[in-house]
Amino acid sequence: MSTPIPARTAWIPLAGAGTLALLLVALWWALIGAPTEATMGTVQRIFYYHAPAALAAWVAFGLNAIASMAYLAKRSMRADALAVAGAEVGLAFLTINLITGPIWARPVWGVWWVWDPRLTLTLAMWVMYGSYLILRQLTPEGGLQPRLAAALAIFFAADIPIDYMAIRWWRGQHPSPVLFGGADSGLAPRMLVAFLLSMAAFLALMGFLVWLRYRQELTRGAITRLKQQRALAEV
Amino acid sequence: MSDWGIFAAMLRRDLRIELRTREALLAMGFYALLVMVIFSFAFSADAALTARAGGGLLWVAFLFAALVALDRAFLRETAEGALVGLQTSPAPRAALLAGKFASSFVLILGLEAILLPLFAVLFNAPAHADWGGIALTTVLGTWALAANGTYFSAMSVHVRQRGLLLPLLLLPVSIPAILAMVQATQIYLGGEGVANYWLQLLAGYDVIFTALGLMLAEMALEVE
Repeated sequence: MSTPIPARTAWIPLAGAGTLALLLVALWWALIGAPTEATMGTVQRIFYYHAPAALAAWVAFGLNAIASMAYLAKRSMRADALAVAGAEVGLAFLTINLITGPIWARPVWGVWWVWDPRLTLTLAMWVMYGSYLILRQLTPEGGLQPRLAAALAIFFAADIPIDYMAIRWWRGQHPSPVLFGGADSGLAPRMLVAFLLSMAAFLALMGFLVWLRYRQELTRGAITRLKQQRALAEV
Repeated sequence: MSDWGIFAAMLRRDLRIELRTREALLAMGFYALLVMVIFSFAFSADAALTARAGGGLLWVAFLFAALVALDRAFLRETAEGALVGLQTSPAPRAALLAGKFASSFVLILGLEAILLPLFAVLFNAPAHADWGGIALTTVLGTWALAANGTYFSAMSVHVRQRGLLLPLLLLPVSIPAILAMVQATQIYLGGEGVANYWLQLLAGYDVIFTALGLMLAEMALEVE
């Protein structure tokens, strides 16, 4: 039950510096290295942040789902800490994705928002993980909270594929995947470099933040338990 | 007692309480009626609006009614330690939850049966509407709301802001179901043929989330 406070490690500044360097290189490629897109112009460069943010969010939510199932199976506080970290960091990246999308859509599509399958699903997921975090905030810390949160996370994991199907039947407008999307898709080589670098940088940043948040959650839990023990000892 | 016996006992008990007090049925029926009346003012309802958005208007009213009913479902158990009795009983959690689900389902469905004709009158539903299809959609849609709603109602019974939490949990998970029930109802309202794939989606959703709720029933009803 009692998970120790994670030990101080030199890997944190190292990983942080590496992530920062990768982000700067990706930024240079996104703004300067990649050529300006012929029809959309400069605004297309937002794509180097827009799509990688979505990918990072999906991976983080995936971590949340796996960690929640692990919690149900093993009732380990480590799994619960990973679940919180995944949901919070994922929501932050999804927010970036949802903000950059309309900035691009307004000049290119002429509207800020359309109820297209992918946009609708993204918004639905944002609402879901928002409610997950609110649930965690409203439930008292301790025994009940991780259990309820894990159950909700598993409901979400089952819900997302059905959501995707329902929404696809409902509407359609998002540009088709640019990579592996068929004969017409594909990027200019220098665009591809910028895109892949951004993907790597965002995934690294996501992993780094999840790791930090995971450690912080374990530390927080350990401190709470120490306080409880001391309060009991004083009585 | 067998699992089915426990299930039936839960269902009988809840329905008996409801028939004697009529508190949920009255409160939520009147609430849903108010929502419909306010909608008809707010949207200046006429036949053209109903033809375009009737499914949505109907389901938002049903959704509000269902939320009131589901919120009460486990609130009742907090009186006189009933919940502790349930939690410490050796009965399988899935049977208890299923009984609770069944009583909520019957209750909400009964209410909707009264509200549907009222809706048809207040919103001038088209004469060629397919009411059989709408009834089927209502059964499947209410099942979806009641299944997840019962689960989340059990989950949120210990939480301080219980009344606030239930919609926050239920609505996001219900997005595909709500989409399906609104679209199917819209198709049947306009008499535009059958809404097969929406009903299939709804039925699939019902099966998946009923099974999930029963599998994870332990988590919702665990003692703190």
